[in-house]
Amino acid sequence: MDLLKRLSLNKYRVDRESHIKVNLDICRTCKEKPCIKVCPAGTYERSGDVIEVHYERCLECGAALVACPFDAISFKFPEGGVSFRYG
Amino acid sequence: MSYDADVIVVGGGLAGLSAAIQANREGLSTLVLERGEYSGAKNVSGGRMYVHALKELVNIEDAPFEKPITKETYVISCGTRRVTFSFSDPESRNSYSVLRAKFDPWLAKKAEEEGVIISYETLVSGAMRDNGITLRTNRGDLRAKIVIEADGVTAGVSRYLGLRNLSPDSLMLGVKEVIKPDVISDEGEAKVLVGFVDGLLGGAFSYVNKDTISLGATVKVNSLQSERVLARDLVELVREKLGIEGDILEYSAHLIPYYGYDKLPPVYAPNLLITGDAAGLLINDGFVIRGMDLAIGSGMIAGRAAKKILDQGDPTKTQVYEEMLNDSFVMKDMIIARRAFSLMNNERLFNAYPEILCSVLSRMFTVSGNRQRLLNVLIEEIKKRDLTLTETVKDLMEVL
Repeated sequence: MDLLKRLSLNKYRVDRESHIKVNLDICRTCKEKPCIKVCPAGTYERSGDVIEVHYERCLECGAALVACPFDAISFKFPEGGVSFRYG
Repeated sequence: MSYDADVIVVGGGLAGLSAAIQANREGLSTLVLERGEYSGAKNVSGGRMYVHALKELVNIEDAPFEKPITKETYVISCGTRRVTFSFSDPESRNSYSVLRAKFDPWLAKKAEEEGVIISYETLVSGAMRDNGITLRTNRGDLRAKIVIEADGVTAGVSRYLGLRNLSPDSLMLGVKEVIKPDVISDEGEAKVLVGFVDGLLGGAFSYVNKDTISLGATVKVNSLQSERVLARDLVELVREKLGIEGDILEYSAHLIPYYGYDKLPPVYAPNLLITGDAAGLLINDGFVIRGMDLAIGSGMIAGRAAKKILDQGDPTKTQVYEEMLNDSFVMKDMIIARRAFSLMNNERLFNAYPEILCSVLSRMFTVSGNRQRLLNVLIEEIKKRDLTLTETVKDLMEVL
């Protein structure tokens, strides 16, 4: 099953503002962009030199927070966000 | 400045609820802050609990377990070849498959019945030490003499207090699906798959639930950073490999602490006791992978320690918690697993050994008129991978 279909199975209450902020000045200098590889939800997508953040997809695992080698991602848990029915 | 409670527990999962139940039983005023709509709403686990610690905490007669795990299967996979090893014990009631969004609300209800106050949808976004600890939340600031941190692997409170950085080589990413298959096996089988995607350090698991299957991949974050496989593709790759079919009901992900005893972060700081995943408590000794019983155990100890600390009159002096942990199964078992754990962290385990095993068996099951002794085949295959028999035996001894 493709990723967006899998994500659509989850219950989300999306916050108005993104709980993830990216420092684009630093992001622009990063070639590898490991956030794209480690995020299981496809929250980070390449957009030219930088990253576009689809925070509404986030599964709140925190992988991007630890994987960014330049600390360019500031991640706080959302007030709403995802709720699991099975977990 | 006054205190809102003797003890504030951050996180209403297994560690937090265990801590709160125990602290409340000790007569301390206790408040639990849970960011989810209900306990378990934000939790993802592989899905297997060893129940000895839970039994110490509460009566488990009506616990919403899925199935008792009575069959252990190891699948060692290399390319299209695989080695499978199973152990079956139909009488075992030592561990159960669980779904946390069902299990945690049950434990939360038990806690609430005993008088524990849980504040749901309360998100902690900062922490400051000031003759106690003040927590910044979406409901305003809350202050306690002691904070018990049970906020999971990302250890928010520790990070807000400047006590911790998260490092990709001490964490695994778990990606999981819950699947409803057409037919479900009667037997509660736990399956572990070793060496499933070339280049990635990790494995996969499946647990049989009442009418679903929990299926997931677990991979070191640092190996994901450097390889071409995307995290979003992992669980589907595992599903193909294990040949599990059915409707997908849920897709989730979670980080897994992978510190081992030798690299554990500090479990206490002034006014702060750290429990469960936040304290890096996870055991993988080659036979069992345990986190939930350690969460419950450390939580219970933190609840008792809080009472001792407050009785001694100085809530900054929290070292007694570590002493109590060291005296308990939590740290004793972490220490016993320390050597096996370092092997579990080793690339040889995920890449070289599965290949050696498959190649040796493949050659022994092939008759070509040029038969060699098993030992010679083994030594040849080990040498091909720049290892020696001594190194291999030494690795094996680490687990034993």
